[in-house]
Amino acid sequence: MTLASITNLSAHYTAGDQRFHALDDVALDVRPGQVLGVVGESGCGKSTMASVLSLNPGPSLRVTSGTLAIGGRDVDLTDTASHRALRGGTVALLPQGALNALNPTRRVGAMAHDILAAGDRRITRAESLRRTAARLEALELPPRVLRAYPHQLSGGMRQRVVTALATLRNPRLLVADEPSSALDVSSQRLLVDLLRRLVADGLVEGIVFITHDVALLSELADRIAVMYAGRVVEEAPAKDLVAAPRHPYAQALLASVLVPEPGTRGHRVTGIPGAPPDLRAPIPGCPFAPRCAHALDRCADERPPRLVIGERDDSCWRSAEAEEAAHVR
Amino acid sequence: MALLRHILSKLGWYAAAFAAALALNFFLPRLLPGNPVDTLIGQALRGHASSETKQRVYETYVAEFGLDQGLWSQFLTYIGKTLQGDFGTSFSRYPAEVATMIGDALPWTIALQLPAVLLGWIIGNLVGAVAAYRRGGFDRSVYLSSLFLTAAPYYCLAVLLLYGLAVALPLFPTGGGWSFGNSPEWSAMFAVDAVSHWFLPFLSLLLVFIGGQAIGMRSMAVYEVDADYVRFAESFGLPDRKIVGYIFRNGMLPQITGLALAIGTLVGGALLTEIVFSYPGIGTLLYDAILNKDYPVIQAVTLLVLIVVLVANFLVDVLYGLIDPRIRAAERGER
Repeated sequence: MTLASITNLSAHYTAGDQRFHALDDVALDVRPGQVLGVVGESGCGKSTMASVLSLNPGPSLRVTSGTLAIGGRDVDLTDTASHRALRGGTVALLPQGALNALNPTRRVGAMAHDILAAGDRRITRAESLRRTAARLEALELPPRVLRAYPHQLSGGMRQRVVTALATLRNPRLLVADEPSSALDVSSQRLLVDLLRRLVADGLVEGIVFITHDVALLSELADRIAVMYAGRVVEEAPAKDLVAAPRHPYAQALLASVLVPEPGTRGHRVTGIPGAPPDLRAPIPGCPFAPRCAHALDRCADERPPRLVIGERDDSCWRSAEAEEAAHVR
Repeated sequence: MALLRHILSKLGWYAAAFAAALALNFFLPRLLPGNPVDTLIGQALRGHASSETKQRVYETYVAEFGLDQGLWSQFLTYIGKTLQGDFGTSFSRYPAEVATMIGDALPWTIALQLPAVLLGWIIGNLVGAVAAYRRGGFDRSVYLSSLFLTAAPYYCLAVLLLYGLAVALPLFPTGGGWSFGNSPEWSAMFAVDAVSHWFLPFLSLLLVFIGGQAIGMRSMAVYEVDADYVRFAESFGLPDRKIVGYIFRNGMLPQITGLALAIGTLVGGALLTEIVFSYPGIGTLLYDAILNKDYPVIQAVTLLVLIVVLVANFLVDVLYGLIDPRIRAAERGER
């Protein structure tokens, strides 16, 4: 049972004659009532995926293939012209940096009306304000916020206003693109609680939460997907992934951050040697192979298959060969 | 109360600027080489009179115009009369009242400049915002043509239009405010005639102004287009015109200051355009006055331009606070 599933998503940026392969055959499932965390270092393609998933790719991004199945229909991700009607209502974006996401010269109520009117042209202003006031109240914001300009609100209030606006049209899927990266820890805490409540109250059916913060995800997410060089290398329930990552990159990533759990005290933080690969040329094998301590010969040339075992999957030749050996025996 | 204090302190600055400009207004025309009475007598008597007659006429005029008094006492008279609203009589068209001459010319100039400035500002800024939002070919063609329109001096464009639409392709009359043989009156026929004379100078001002505003707005809007709030608005599938509206509102804040600064050059440039089309407005009046060293007319026209520029700047200052809620808040001390 899935709420939304992305299959076969590939996209590249063009700059002059060069192509940067930002997403390479990505597949992800979001389950209803769950938060899917997507984690990876900068440049791994997670924000690109957020822009494609929120049906709002930038002008220099070319989506070459991909389908988003959501709410019983298949959306062709390469056909960006057809996306406008789905934005905000089916899929909504919770942007990075809520402080600048609000138009500085527009009152919150007027902006809310613009957003609702984009989905339903006949909605009256009074009806918009009524619905917005109800949603603001659910997020513990006073109704005076409707008449406020963004500069009259505190940082935390702006974060909640942006969240309220993003979910105003009850989108099925909320794509949160690093909404926490500019926040201090206590605001992060509030945001995490808020998102959890949105899902629990059914205001949104599912959330994709994109971040580089593994520690935060281990608290918020039900499942975590690890991205590297434009691919999803491992996806698993959050607890399992944090406790026992399978893919060597996921292991290395978790070894380089502190996740608050028993045993952290004696843990030594190690970095990952080397640098992420150059994305200008397509990578035939596993993109992590040059940095991987366990790389086999075939890793550099052949693309590792996606191996699904129970609730989790990973794409690594070592897992594939171990699985094969288990079957042979 | 903070707002009131803000406006009062602004008014103080404007008063100081006005006083300085008033003095310049008086002295600058008098620094022109030559003497207004010489020109006047040269035209009036054409050398037929004896030198004695000439001398007597000369002295009469000099005494009549007050040019025999010291510069300082002339200045005091000028200040006193100006503050009473008395602009004196013209030298070259003696004994015509300067106030009447300006009153005759002013409606023509207002009819020409006001629509050109307002319409040009709106069209120019909208075109600039749309160009920045759409990018690509539309943006490039808007940018290049705007660059051409603003970089070309006012009179160049006016001359080009005059040649293109009045000489090579005689759609419009070549100049003047109305046709020869017609005279200003309230009739439909005269109105049609006046509009056909009005159109070319209007168009040349409008185009120049659109160009300048579009370039300014485009460079402002290019930053706004990539702003987070635009991306957020796009993520809801807001219609393009709504998003351009957002960009317009935020990008136009600096443009309003630009408008205030541009009004001075604009009025000056528009006067040149009037001369090219021999349009019966303030510009042509000033031009003739300078040729004849008609001090009172020069003074009155430059004073008028000065007042217009100062008032426009003041209005823009106040308006700016109304448009940007953040400035409004700062003035109330909320921030």
